[in-house]
Amino acid sequence: MSRTFTDELHDAARPIWDAQLAHPFVTGIGDGTLPESTFSRWVVQDYGYLKEFARIFAWAVAKAQRLEAMGWYAKVLDLTLNTEMELHRRYAQRFGIATGELESAEMWPTTRAYTDFLVRTAADGDMADLLAALLPCAWGYVDIGQELARRPPPEDERYRDWIEQYASEEFAGAAAWLRGELDRLADGSSEEKRARLRHLFLLSSRYELRFWDMCLEGERWEGGTDK
Amino acid sequence: MSFISEQDTRFAPLWDRIRSHPFLLETRDGTIPDEVFATWLRQDYLFVEAAIPFIGALIPRAPTEHWGPLSGVISALEKELKLFEERAARVGVQLRGAPPSFTCHAYIQFLLATAHTRGYAEGFAVLYAAERAYHESWQVVQEGIAADSPWVPFVENWAGEEFAGYVGYLGGELEKLAGEAGPAERARMGELYRLALLYEVAFWEMAYGADGWPGVEDDLAGEAGAGPAWNPDTGTTPEKAWTHMNPQSSAGEEGTDR
Repeated sequence: MSRTFTDELHDAARPIWDAQLAHPFVTGIGDGTLPESTFSRWVVQDYGYLKEFARIFAWAVAKAQRLEAMGWYAKVLDLTLNTEMELHRRYAQRFGIATGELESAEMWPTTRAYTDFLVRTAADGDMADLLAALLPCAWGYVDIGQELARRPPPEDERYRDWIEQYASEEFAGAAAWLRGELDRLADGSSEEKRARLRHLFLLSSRYELRFWDMCLEGERWEGGTDK
Repeated sequence: MSFISEQDTRFAPLWDRIRSHPFLLETRDGTIPDEVFATWLRQDYLFVEAAIPFIGALIPRAPTEHWGPLSGVISALEKELKLFEERAARVGVQLRGAPPSFTCHAYIQFLLATAHTRGYAEGFAVLYAAERAYHESWQVVQEGIAADSPWVPFVENWAGEEFAGYVGYLGGELEKLAGEAGPAERARMGELYRLALLYEVAFWEMAYGADGWPGVEDDLAGEAGAGPAWNPDTGTTPEKAWTHMNPQSSAGEEGTDR
């Protein structure tokens, strides 16, 4: 089988993706050794992230050319806003994090920067730009979920559920669909355009890795005062 | 209470932090390490470059009376880039090719995401906060910098009367926008104002420390070179950037007659 454009992206980002798989936060979910208080950071920050991530699909609906693609993005938008976020709220409760806390939590610098980057790219880029920026999250989580699912499961049921969700057929199918769309759009595009897409893909990959760092170490705004 | 004084009361510690930052004090005293200043120079060059599309993205939503002034800001920013190029060449700093630091990249994304997805008044609050931070910061440097410091032209640019007039104009317009805004919009404006100040603090911090990205190290330079290719014109003294923004100056021509 010939190699696709997204295969090339994956190759280019491999050092970053490998670093994600080896990241103590990720391996800590996998073997269940990650302290709950550390994981809770992810639960809170990812909620803020998800809200902005949903916005990207709204831009995608507006930018897609084919009705089928518009419908697909609209479905993902609906699922994210009306199902996934509710699941996230319930999941957070299992860690003793109330919905009010999720809603009022401040985005830490990395979450803020990453979501602003996605929103900005969705707004002023084209459909291929948007997909290149979005894929490291959608595809990367599947990659991590599937990798962890191959290892002995953690004792903590909550971590097992986390792995199961991202390793699921549903998530893998969505990531594959998005990859197909980007491959289709990149087909025949100039080397300059491909370089731009590679750049966006690598940037989001870096943000993904930085997100794990942030959750592991904690982060704050330098000079931050009360909100 | 005016919108700006309200924010300044809330965020007084942030303003203090900006005004007392070692970067400014050391630039003033001439003790700043060369590499620290060079880092700032390269990163702020990227930031000024990105401020152009930020202003551009605000214009479609701006009231018509702001079109002239905002277009004037774009011209001024282009002249500022020339100033960076001329100063960098003077002290032998390689300006181009540095990848954006995390803070620089984040601040740029913040500007552009704000311009694209927030209301005009919110974007304007960010513009004001950033410009006023430049003005106040370089006023700190102004008070005591040696006349032969290579950074005097930056002081003249941002602490000078023309820039002060421009910031004053932005402040007046921001008050009008805030006066027309409902409480929820006003609160959002305040929150973005705060974020802009946090980024200002982070930007000075960045000049001193590691502010890198995790992962491989070789792929971000594309972003740095993504801007238009201005030709460094180091043989001449750069034009004053903000003169045309100020009605008091002889070159005043934009619609800032208020």
